[in-house]
Amino acid sequence: MSSTFSKMPLAALALFVAAGLAVAPSAEAAGNRGGGGGGHHAGGGAKAKPQVNHSRTDKRANNVRSTSVNNVNVNKNVNVNVDNNRGCCNNGWDNDYHPIATAAAVTATVAVTSAIVGSIVNAPPPGCVPVNYGGYIYQQCGSTWYQPQGSQYVVIAPPY
Amino acid sequence: MKQRRRLLGLLALSLAAPGAYAQTAAATTAPAATAANLVDPASVQALKDMGAHLQTLKRFRVTTELSGERVLADGQKLQHGASATMDVARPDRLRATMRSPRSERVLFFDGKTVTLYTPAQRAYSTVELNDTLTGLVEKLENRFGIEVPLSDLFVWGTPAAPLDKIESAMNAGQDFIGDDLCDHYAFRQGQLDWQIWITTGAKPLPRKVVITNRSDEARPQSVSLIAWNLNPGFNDSVFRFVPPKGATKAEIVAPKAK
Repeated sequence: MSSTFSKMPLAALALFVAAGLAVAPSAEAAGNRGGGGGGHHAGGGAKAKPQVNHSRTDKRANNVRSTSVNNVNVNKNVNVNVDNNRGCCNNGWDNDYHPIATAAAVTATVAVTSAIVGSIVNAPPPGCVPVNYGGYIYQQCGSTWYQPQGSQYVVIAPPY
Repeated sequence: MKQRRRLLGLLALSLAAPGAYAQTAAATTAPAATAANLVDPASVQALKDMGAHLQTLKRFRVTTELSGERVLADGQKLQHGASATMDVARPDRLRATMRSPRSERVLFFDGKTVTLYTPAQRAYSTVELNDTLTGLVEKLENRFGIEVPLSDLFVWGTPAAPLDKIESAMNAGQDFIGDDLCDHYAFRQGQLDWQIWITTGAKPLPRKVVITNRSDEARPQSVSLIAWNLNPGFNDSVFRFVPPKGATKAEIVAPKAK
């Protein structure tokens, strides 16, 4: 029983990776940069606190098939992994990773070609708009999505 | 000599077999009779008492340290940590600061609107939500896929915590959490096995919760340690969100229900 559960998200993930890679290069070129006023980007608060850096994280660490759950009463998809077609799992408050937030080289400038899923930039291009999905903030720039990660941003496949 | 022993062995086996068969047959038909006995009423009552006591707490600060697990494609597990501090005024006020390696987020709720603010992005989303804390945790989850830390705290002791779904309940003895002597209980319901450590005495409070997710054979588990301050110093202004200078509003997108 559980083995059928565990196979489903794997397949979904594989699809997800493939789709994300295919889409990425052209996405940034499309000037369709959300309807956002103000060039708000680049991590705000100048905090002294050290930031996490996941640039050396192994890709396998993001290939997640299921997670723990944090509550007994308000349960969502504990039994079946159908909550979305992207990763797996539920959006626990502790669980702010994204299945494809895996590392590549850090690029100093945001070149058009850098918007490959998994690539990391120091700041998203101007004109991105913040979007709250599942309780986490992403920066959307047209069809390219960035997930904040410490003081940097990882290009991810669209979360929805 | 050898042959005789083998023969004897065979005989014993053939004799034993029918008995073994009968036993397993009995075991598969028995559960109906024993199902009721799996639920120890005193353990369920302990949950009720704790829930009732939780509902009497009007103002408190609760902090939690959580360890969660992710199961990778091949079954290997990774553990991660997170922590949260929550200022609560019943029935309908909450400020929750949630910290994990990748982000810090603050949830504000004043009984009418709920705001989720991400300081590093200076981005916030606000939604009208006229409800109690019990309604808040349920609606945030179901409408927006947002989980409130220790959401069970706002549900235990209300009809939204259905104790009749518990399939197995037992007293697992006593244990110390920090310096607090606790009763340890273990429950099974649906795909979850869960344990709770409740302080002994007339004012039962949960000090630790462990939840094992059985829907994956790797059984990812979360461990939440809970600390209480029942005389907190905050006032009601902590529940109101005032956008800091330069903060931007983020559209909130409801997860695709499927």
